[in-house]
Formats: sequence, structure tokens, C-alpha cells
Amino acid sequence: MNWVFLWLRALGFSATVPGIPLIALACISLFVILPSCALIAYLDRKLSADLQARVGPCRTGYRGMLQPVADCVKLLQKNSMHSQTLGELLWMLLHTMALYASLAAIPLGSLAMMVDTQMSVFIPFWSALVLALGTMLLGLGQYTTPGWLGGIRTAAQSLAGTFPSLIGILCVGMHAGSFRWSALAASQGFLHWTMFAHPFLLLAFVVFVGGGLVLLAIAPLDGGLAMSDIHGGVAVHVTGRQLALFQFGRFYGFFIWSVMTVVLFMGAWRIPESLRSWFLALDAEVCISVVELTWLLLKTYVLMLFILWIARANPRARVDQITDFSWGVLGPLALVALVGTAFWTMV
Amino acid sequence: MMYFRRSVFIALFWYLHSIVKSSLSIAGSCFATLPYLLRIGESRKEVTDGYPDPISSKTADDLPPRSRGLLFNDIERCTGCGDCEHVCPAGCIEVASEPGAHDSRIWVSVFDVDFSRCVFCGLCVDICQPMSLVHTRQYEGAAYQLEDLVASFGRGQVTEEQREKWHLARQRLSAPQEGA
Amino acid sequence: MSRKDWSIGPLHTSLPGPMHMVLKLHGEIIDACQVETGFLHRGLEKQCELHSWHAALFYADHLDPEGAVFSELVLCLAVEEIAGIMVPERAQSIRLVLVELGRISSHLAFMARMARSVGSETIVHYVLRDRERILDLFELLTGARVSLNFLRYGGVKGDVTDGFIERVLDVCDLIRFRMKEYNDIFTFNAIFLKRTLGVAPLSVELIEQAGITGPNARASGVREDSRKGSPLYQALEFDIPSGKSEDFFAQGWRGLLARTSKGCVGDVHDRFLVRLREMTQSIEILRQLVAQMPLGVYQNTSIHIDRNYPIPPGESYQRMESARGRLGCHVVSDGQNFPGRIQFSTPTRASLWALPQLVRGIRIEDLPVVLASLDLSIAEADR
Repeated sequence: MNWVFLWLRALGFSATVPGIPLIALACISLFVILPSCALIAYLDRKLSADLQARVGPCRTGYRGMLQPVADCVKLLQKNSMHSQTLGELLWMLLHTMALYASLAAIPLGSLAMMVDTQMSVFIPFWSALVLALGTMLLGLGQYTTPGWLGGIRTAAQSLAGTFPSLIGILCVGMHAGSFRWSALAASQGFLHWTMFAHPFLLLAFVVFVGGGLVLLAIAPLDGGLAMSDIHGGVAVHVTGRQLALFQFGRFYGFFIWSVMTVVLFMGAWRIPESLRSWFLALDAEVCISVVELTWLLLKTYVLMLFILWIARANPRARVDQITDFSWGVLGPLALVALVGTAFWTMV
Repeated sequence: MMYFRRSVFIALFWYLHSIVKSSLSIAGSCFATLPYLLRIGESRKEVTDGYPDPISSKTADDLPPRSRGLLFNDIERCTGCGDCEHVCPAGCIEVASEPGAHDSRIWVSVFDVDFSRCVFCGLCVDICQPMSLVHTRQYEGAAYQLEDLVASFGRGQVTEEQREKWHLARQRLSAPQEGA
Repeated sequence: MSRKDWSIGPLHTSLPGPMHMVLKLHGEIIDACQVETGFLHRGLEKQCELHSWHAALFYADHLDPEGAVFSELVLCLAVEEIAGIMVPERAQSIRLVLVELGRISSHLAFMARMARSVGSETIVHYVLRDRERILDLFELLTGARVSLNFLRYGGVKGDVTDGFIERVLDVCDLIRFRMKEYNDIFTFNAIFLKRTLGVAPLSVELIEQAGITGPNARASGVREDSRKGSPLYQALEFDIPSGKSEDFFAQGWRGLLARTSKGCVGDVHDRFLVRLREMTQSIEILRQLVAQMPLGVYQNTSIHIDRNYPIPPGESYQRMESARGRLGCHVVSDGQNFPGRIQFSTPTRASLWALPQLVRGIRIEDLPVVLASLDLSIAEADR
């Protein structure tokens, strides 16, 4: 435990009790990520059903609210047919550690940040790239043609989505003056969101969200990965527990990207100043954290469900059309946003 | 030089035009599905049948009167002619009959309909002269064993002595006419 | 690259039925393709020879499960020509109502398959919900939803039930209302246009070589429709719909779309548009049929189902326009209680013949879209 403590202290996080960071990580994953996964999975199925004139889950629990639990239990009790070699197991552990290492960097409130440095905004981005690498290798390791091609497509798509997203982050960094989570939040207000500050930042928001969808292969831009028909085939052989972990990894990427979007562009966790000072006067800092976290998660869910709505109402684009879109449309728009933000900030 | 610049502007115009048109089209699709999310109007409610809940789904009586469900044979009216057995394309009906106590009485001993082969085409019902074979509106015919899918409407085999009795009864009935 | 050949099938989610394709790939582009069918051969035509003439109607029902009424009608027409059986006017009218309803139902199922192949799940549910209304209509009139078994030689099995006419008109209004919704959501969606414009255009030479008929041919500008010359449709007014080729000089946004789109005549989007327009045409035909339905008997009363029912010896070939194209039926009678030979000439066989040439040069992600756009029915092709 010692090296974790030392590492965190070097990063600027001071704690007297060595176990706090681990407890914090555990708390984040158990009480924020897992419930979010369950909630979004349930809302996904219910809202898709509403859109499609169906009912959706209605048998498990009251109005089907226990459906994600049922799915999880069902998947976890299935054996997978693929037994891993030692090398594969080792790689899987390293990959999982790399992917979920960014748990420490998720900002969840003004007082609930563990990593608040100039590099903190790039850590979730890096974790999305790790996810892409893992998916690509999963595909390339297949013998069947669709799986193999799916691996290559995932790599191409992720590469295409990186460029506009990075530029989007740069725009906001320029506007806020720094890449620290606290500075990014301080540059916004309760209703003064970054994306409404000036039109180039609105463009940067669109570019960032679009780039994220391409990078993480989220519907409707999931042509490289989609398991339907001939498209992806990257993960058709993944069953049982491995499927649960795979889907959870994909959800984690989507979630962390949405949190990043909200913090960068959609007002972070800023609650009205009057409310905040009222809580401080009552000496209730925990209340501030809770309210901020709730507000942040609410905006995150709204964003995720909005993207889901677009995904359900529209068809899926072809992979080469996605990469064309990313390089040919999002890229130039990102550069335009960057130049415009630069000029606006100078003036 | 002028030509080069003009084509660049034209290309830029069509590029931006396609971006705007695509975005509007995608947004249009999303907003066109919005009435479903908000459940506006009768034409947009959910169409899921809550089967097997009998309240929120259709039962056999809700089906139209002509629905071709499982077959039923009224053995009182059946004459055992075997037309249905002959016409059935799937060969699923088995009929065996013999004359009874009177010339006009026919004892249908075997009338088996094998629903694992029946395709519910209705030819047997059409051809049935006494109109004893009808379609019910039942559609729940699943069974756990293949043997349970055979529906027997026959009256069962008769013993030899019963057959003898009927034979004698028929002879007695036809004899006075021959004598007179 | 070591993975040059890819073998798909016979069972695969993107295929329309059991068929085996071996693709030679160059990267993601298909260079050549071999198609093998026959996995769904059920021996229908042989079975017809072993049972009575009435059972032949039942087997015709099962030729194409989605278009049961088309094969029944074409068999009835052929047998009635051999035996010289007259069909009352009311029966003809009822038959045509069923045919047009079957056409709409088949095109709705086509839309569902097309939407699923591009990944738009919402439209699939909308379309199938509306198809349920038509299947309910079938059940109201005939007693079954899919395998109707309602046509008989010399007429139909029963008369129009109470409330059927009103519900037919309701369904016409409903489909009209929903078409607008489908157009808003799906037909001119930018992503759908990008997936389908300019993909796999069907050239007129290939159509003539393969003998492709129906909406696939009409989308490329070959405006042939077996309904136009048929005596059944003489009293009805309708146009032959076609795709972008007729729109090119049209006014309004349709013409603008045709002129500015990057697609070509006879591509996947064209085949989709033609079927949409055919649905609208079928609604018009239905309204005319229902308005003009003559009174009378529903069956030629000299005909009844009997154990001994010979058809006089003879031979005939009849054709009609099914939802997929021109469906032909060749019947040979030896004067017995059972048919001598019944042969069906189905439109899907022509499309399957043209498939290897059509998919040359497309990407493999386009393959499900192209297969869905041709409206293949393997049951029909394999009989």
C-alpha cells in the first residue's frame, strides 16, 4: 500500500490515512459506476422500447427495474467456452488495470477529486485509447474474416476519432486557461456553460462529442464494432462472464467520456453560488458534495440518453463513412474551432 | 487562377451544404420519433400483447369466427366416410369405421388427428359432408410429449361379440323386407 | 493477405434465407462471388403430383410464405384456363383485394428487412406493427394469417365477412398515414441515403440477361408490370411506379433529390423507393376495388370440393405480378384426380442468377443491404 500512498502524495493529494485512496476508488466504482451502469442499461431498454412502441422489461421487479441485475446474474453464471492461456490471462489483467486506472482521475465534485493536475483531463482520454487497443487485439486474434476485419476497423476508427477529440480538449483548455479539473469547473457557472460561451466552443463541443463517439465506437457510429450481420464480429465469440466484462468495459468508456464532456463543456458540477454558501454556512460540506455529484450525474445521464436516442432513431453508418466523417468533417471543424477559440481568447 | 478559386468556393459550399443537410435530416429523424417517447395520440401507444396475461392479450374468443384453430370432430354426426383422410395433404387424419346396429348407424372406432403434422389448411373441414369436423379457435396446443399431440375423437374399438350382435341386428332388420 | 475467401452461410443473420455464398475479397471489396442455393428445397412441385388438385392449392400457398396469395392465384388462373371454369365477378374482386393486401404486407416486411440491414431498429418495429393490421385482416376474411388457403378453383372459399370492407378502408388510411411517418424517419435520412445511394446499381443489360422482373427491374427504369396487360386489372386505374429515373424531371423536392443525389438509377435506394410507391399504388387500387365490388356469388357453384375431382386434360401457363416480380405457373393435366405437373417460375431465381455480377465491386458491409434490397425469398427460389 505504501507506494500508492507515496504516488498520490507526490501528485498533490494529501491523506493521513493510507487506506483512503483505495476506499475512495472502491466507493467510486461501487456507488457511482455500477449503479450508473445498471440505471443506464435499464433506461436504455425502456426508452428504446418507448420509441419503438413496445413495453420493454416489465416482469423483473416493479416495471422491470431489476432487469439489469437479472442480466448481470445470468451472464456471470455462464461459463465461457474459451479457456485462457497464462499469457492471455496476464494480458487481460494488465489491460483491465490500465483501463480502470482512470477511475482515480474521474472528477466527481469540487471536493471529490483525486487527481487534479495539468494532465488530469488527458487520463480518461488515454483510457479510451486503451479500450480501443484491447478491442482491436480481440478482433485481430480471431481466425474468422469478420472478426479480423473488425479488429482492423476498430483500430482505424479509433485513430480517426482521436484527432478531433484532442483538439476539442485543447479548445477548452485554452478557454479555461488550464487543464486542471478545478480550473475547468471554475471557468463555468451554474448556467454559464463552456459550450455556450461563444460559437467556436459550441463547435468544439460538437466535435468533441462526435470524436468521442467515433473513438469509442458508440452507436450510431459503431460500424467497426457492431456485432450485427457482417460488420464487426469482434466479440461474437465472447460469451458469459467475459461478455459481461466486455460490455461493462464499453459502458465504462462511454460513461467516462460523458463525464468528461459534462465537466469540460456542460457546466461541470457547478451549483448556484447561493446554495453553495448556504451549505457552507451550515458547515455541511458533505451536502455540497452530494448535490454536486447528483447534478453532475444527472447531466451525464441526460447526455448519454440523448446519444442513445440518436442511435435508436437512425441507421448505422458504414465504417469507411465513419472514418471519412471523422477525418473529413470533424477534423477541419475542430481546427476551425481551435483557431477561433484562440482568436477569441486573445481578444 | 480565377477558375481555381471559384471551384474551391463551390466545393466548400457543397461541403457545408451537405453537413447542414445531414445534420438536419438526422435531427428530423430524432424529432419524428419524439411523439412516441411522449406517447402523443392513440396511434403511438405500445402494441405489445401481454400474453399470457388474459386481461391484456387476446384470448381464443377474441379471434375472428373463421380462425382455423385446432380441429374438433363431433363424433355423433361423423359418418366415417374418410374424405378428410383422403384429402389431407399432410396425411395426419386416421379414420376407421364399421357399420353399427342399423344400416344408417356407423361406429367410428378410430378418428385420430395428429397435430404434429396438421398444417391447419382447412381442406378437411371444407370436404366434410355431414359438417362434423370443424375448426375451433383454440391455438394453444403445445404438449410435452409427441404422443400427446394426437387428438382422438373415435369411440374406441368394439369387441368381437358386439360386432356379432350388430351383424345379427342388421340381418334381422333386412330379413323381413326380403320376405315381404 | 491470407484471408481471401470468405464463406458465408448457409445460416447467417444477414442472409435472407439458407443460401451459401463464397466471396473472394480484396481487402474489403468483393471481387467475385459464388452463390449456392437449394437448401430449402422441399419438393413442393413433386408433392403436388401426389395429392389431389385441392391439395395443390395448399402447396402453392407454401411456395412463398410471405406472398401466399400470389401463388394461389396464379395456380387458380392456370387450372381455370385448362378446365374452362368461370369465375364470378365478386370472387375476382375479392381475390384482387387479397392480392393487393398481400403486396402491401410483403413490401412492409421488405422494409423491415431493409431497415434491419442498415441497423435502424425503430422502423422495424413500426413497420411490423402495421403489418400486423394486415395480417389481422387476412385472419378476419380467410381464417389464417399467413397461409391463407382461401382461393378455390372458380372463386373463393367464403364471402366477405361483416366489417371487412370497413376495416380494409381503415387499413388504407392507416398505411397512408404511416407512410408519411416512415418518410420522415427513414426514407430520406442522411445516413440511410449514404448507405444506399449509388450502391450496386442494377443495369438494364443484366436485367435482360437474367430476366429480372418486378420492382427490381422497375427501379432501373424497365417499366414492365404484368398487371397492366392482365384482364383482371382492366377496370382499375393505376400507374407503374419507378424510381429516380422518372423523378429526374419532376418538380419539387423529389426532382431536386434526384438531380442532386450522388446515386444512380437502379441503386439500392431506388429499389426501396419503388416499393414504397408500389404500396401507395396498392392503396389506390384497394380503394377502387372496394368501391366497385360487385354483388353476386363468391364461388362458381358448380364446383365443390370432392374426393373425385378430375380436371380435364390440357396444359396452360399463367403469370401474374407478385410482390417480388412476375410469378408464372405452368400446369399440365392428364385428366386425373391429381395434377400431372405443376411448375412455378419464381422471380427470385432471376435475382439470384444476377447476384454474383451485381455484388462485384461492393464492400462487404454493403452486402446485407444489397441482399435485403433485392427482396429475395429463398423459399420461393428453392420451392
